Amino acid sequence: MSSTSLVFRVVERDIKILFSDTFLIGIMFANFGIDLFVTAATFGNLIGYSYFLRIAPGSNLITAMVAAFQSGRDIWREKYIKDLASYLLTLPVPRRLFAVSRIAGGVVRSLIATFPGTLVISYLYGILFSPRLIEAFVIVGLFSLGIVGLSMSVSAFASSIEVFATVRSAIQLYLSFLSTIFYDVTLFPAIVQPIVQTNPMTWAMQAFRALGNQGSTLYPVSILIGPSVAFALLGMGCYLWYARL
Amino acid sequence: MSFSATQVKDSNSLPGGDSTSRLVLQMARRDISTLFRTPWIIISRSLAFIVQLFVFAYLISGFVVKFPNYFEYYAVGSVVGTIASISFIIGYDIFEEAEEGLLDYLLTLPISRRQFIIGRALGGAVRAMIYTIPMFVIVAVLEKFSNPLSLAFAVFDLFLLAFGVTGLSITMAVSVRSANRFDVTLALLELAVSRASTALYPLAFMPGYVAAFAPYSPVTFAADSARDVLEGTGLNLLGIAGLLAFVAIFLGLGATFYFRRLEGGVYA
Repeated sequence: MSSTSLVFRVVERDIKILFSDTFLIGIMFANFGIDLFVTAATFGNLIGYSYFLRIAPGSNLITAMVAAFQSGRDIWREKYIKDLASYLLTLPVPRRLFAVSRIAGGVVRSLIATFPGTLVISYLYGILFSPRLIEAFVIVGLFSLGIVGLSMSVSAFASSIEVFATVRSAIQLYLSFLSTIFYDVTLFPAIVQPIVQTNPMTWAMQAFRALGNQGSTLYPVSILIGPSVAFALLGMGCYLWYARL
Repeated sequence: MSFSATQVKDSNSLPGGDSTSRLVLQMARRDISTLFRTPWIIISRSLAFIVQLFVFAYLISGFVVKFPNYFEYYAVGSVVGTIASISFIIGYDIFEEAEEGLLDYLLTLPISRRQFIIGRALGGAVRAMIYTIPMFVIVAVLEKFSNPLSLAFAVFDLFLLAFGVTGLSITMAVSVRSANRFDVTLALLELAVSRASTALYPLAFMPGYVAAFAPYSPVTFAADSARDVLEGTGLNLLGIAGLLAFVAIFLGLGATFYFRRLEGGVYA
């Protein structure tokens, strides 16, 4: 079997796991709905409609983050709860290819979970029926790549679900509040600004805003690639370390 | 999520024998000690509170011109939201105990089912209070709340909310069977009760479809009641009545579901 088919098989397995409980996808969309139509809408009323549009993509990216962490959680459960890790390692797939496939599987799962949300944001930004819709999915995919990598790293080192949940919460805080979802980078103290500027959420948000302004996404997307690929490599490295016997 | 093998000590060794209240307190004590054995939860929730208050609320209040003193408004609400959030943790504990088989051991203890359930709910509420009090003190100092009676009433509001949410969380833990489903459902519920409430923003600014439900959220009852009493507006009797009803309903439901699962469900 070729490498590509092996990757597809592993990705297919991850997608099947996602769809084994469609309730979960519904709940993720409900999370997105609350974030956008309750929290963002209320802040829009408090501050102004333009502010609602400004923070709207954050709701979808937060859903992508939740979906990406769900992949890491599944990997953690495979090892500690279901005791499946040994079986998976006996499969005729080279370890590196397997690690790459798990990351790809996580990204695809994230894209599926955020599919309705991405359409909603694209509608709000007036690009639903434009070729730029593809760019919106590329941004979500790239952002998810980094977060899947991070969640796989956490799953490799977390010895208990409490540790996994705590690190996940800390990363979620970093992505949500130390990024430009709610405010501009210049509002942060100078010492915090480098943290905000290296946050993948910052660049995913900038890219979405560029879409809304009919501008070019090339610059924010090219910067987003940096942390996303770095986190994905970290995740791959950790997964390989975790998969050693 | 804070699984612990903390054992309930032999109640016969306690001075005063096996009185109902003593056994309930013994169960509650176990849950309280569990919280301190899982510092991760305390660290993550404290960090979340600090970042939300001193980064998010501080920066965003600069944008909010339609509602004066938004930071002060948010500060009280963030404590209310946090206590609701931490009170949900008891559900994770109960779910995990069932998964790990510890529940079977707990059921062999010389304590009635009713005492067991009330003790769990009380323990969950008390530990949420212990955890949230330092945050409440920070907010009280920031906003210069100094009237002891007002502070006591506000703490009472928080306790009622914690007790009710604990019941809600227990109900969820014994109603949902899949671990993944339970995790995301509880997270969604936590998000829904705190976001669709007046904890973080005033009712007047919510979209109509949220404003129609938000007044009936237990978090709204607690947030409005705590704000009223702390700001000296008066005692919010409606809020307190709402909280009491919430406690009665969900503690009752939690107990009923728990009984069913214990006596005839998957753990029988």
